Order: sequence, then C-alpha cells, then structure tokens
Amino acid sequence: METRQQGQTMFTGILLLIGTVIIVQLWLVGASMDALLAHETEILIPAAIISFLGLLLNAGLLYYIHDFDKRVRRSNPAR
Amino acid sequence: MPEVLKPDSLKILNNPSQEPQWREDFPIRWENDHYVTRRELAKFLTLGSAFLVIANVVMAFFGKFRGAEQYPRAFVANASAIPESGSMLFRYPTDRDPCILVRAKSGELRAYSQTCTHLSCAVVHRAQDGVLSCPCHMGLFSETEGRPVAGPPIRPLPRILLDQQGDQVFAIGVEV
Repeated sequence: METRQQGQTMFTGILLLIGTVIIVQLWLVGASMDALLAHETEILIPAAIISFLGLLLNAGLLYYIHDFDKRVRRSNPAR
Repeated sequence: MPEVLKPDSLKILNNPSQEPQWREDFPIRWENDHYVTRRELAKFLTLGSAFLVIANVVMAFFGKFRGAEQYPRAFVANASAIPESGSMLFRYPTDRDPCILVRAKSGELRAYSQTCTHLSCAVVHRAQDGVLSCPCHMGLFSETEGRPVAGPPIRPLPRILLDQQGDQVFAIGVEV
C-alpha cells in the first residue's frame, strides 16, 4: 500500500484512539466531581492517575504522528 | 507631476487578470488560514487531554488536603414536640442550610439536609410512605437512611448527626 494511504488510515485510527481516551477522561472528571461532592475522596487519586496515563497515551500517539511525518518527509522531500 | 497611486480596485478594473497588490503582500487565503489539519486537531485534543488531567489532579488535591469540617452543637427541638410520623424544619450548621427532622415509623428521630442531591429543591416528608420526597422531579429518599429509592437523585441526603440529652435534641455534625 502507498505510504500516503497508509498514513491516512493510521491518522484516522490514531484520532479515534485519542478521542476515545478523551471521552474516558471526561467521564473520569465527571465521576471525580461527583465523588468529591459526596466526600468519597478515596477514588480521586486513582482517577487522576488513570487520567494521567490517558494523557501519556495521547502524547505518545502525537509523538508517533510527528515521527511518522518526519520519516515520510525524509524519504520523500517533495512532500 | 507626481504619480497618483490608484486603488487596487481600479487596478483590477484596468486589468482583471492581475492580482491586487495586497494579495501579493498577504498571499495566505482566508479559507487556508482557517483550515485545521488532522495534525493540528491531534495536538488540540492532546492539549485538552492535559487540561482534563489538571482538573482531575486539582480535585484529588482538594479531596486529599481538605481538613475535616468542624460543626457546632446546636439545639434543634424537644423530642416530645415531634409526634409519630411528624417532622419539623430547622437550619444547621448555618442559617443558610435548611434541614428536616423526622420521626420515622420506627419511632427514631432522624435528620437530613432538606436540599435534594439532584437539583437542590427542598424535600418534604411523606409520612404515609415513609419517604422524603422531592416535588421537583419526584425523587424519593428513605426516611430511615436518607438514601435515594426512586427518581433521578443518585446520592443520599446528607445526614445530620443528632445527640439526644433527655428530651432535648441537638445537632452535632453532618455526615455526607
């Protein structure tokens, strides 16, 4: 398959992954707010840690996009 | 005689094929300037993800380091003044916090915040059903535990801790 086509499929997949992680993070923020108001503080730190792991995943995917771009440009400078 | 500069529009009228001068100075088109690439969207989403982490960390921080609240001891009512299946309203711990004292069917005195945990309407005692009812969205709470039993509320009513000395009933704290 041509690199450009591969890139399009990959981008769509990565954006879907990032979107999914953000939806999970939004849910975590809502659940944490609910727990905070109910004084159930024991779940707040695990929620923050899981949210941070989501950020790391998103950052890793973003880094992969940039790295992929660099490799494509290096192999084909006209693009 | 000095040369008079013609406005761009006149230039275009004189020579429609020629681009106006400002177009050469600012070659970026409006639609191109507003075009968001997938890379930019990915960056924006990751930034949003970072903000969500910050929100979670701030909440965890508040939950961890918020000290235990101190509540005053306040006289509520004489127990003999509350008949079986009766109730009365009072305010605790401040004048802005409406509460309700109920005598449950079992005869025990219970007190709760009167503010519904759904959308903050005032709950009322429905003694015949043994519940506290929120008339706004028909949320029902158990009169013995304060937990939600029907309707949209998902969190229990904050319970007012009571201390009975003889006939006198005092409020001594709030259990959320």
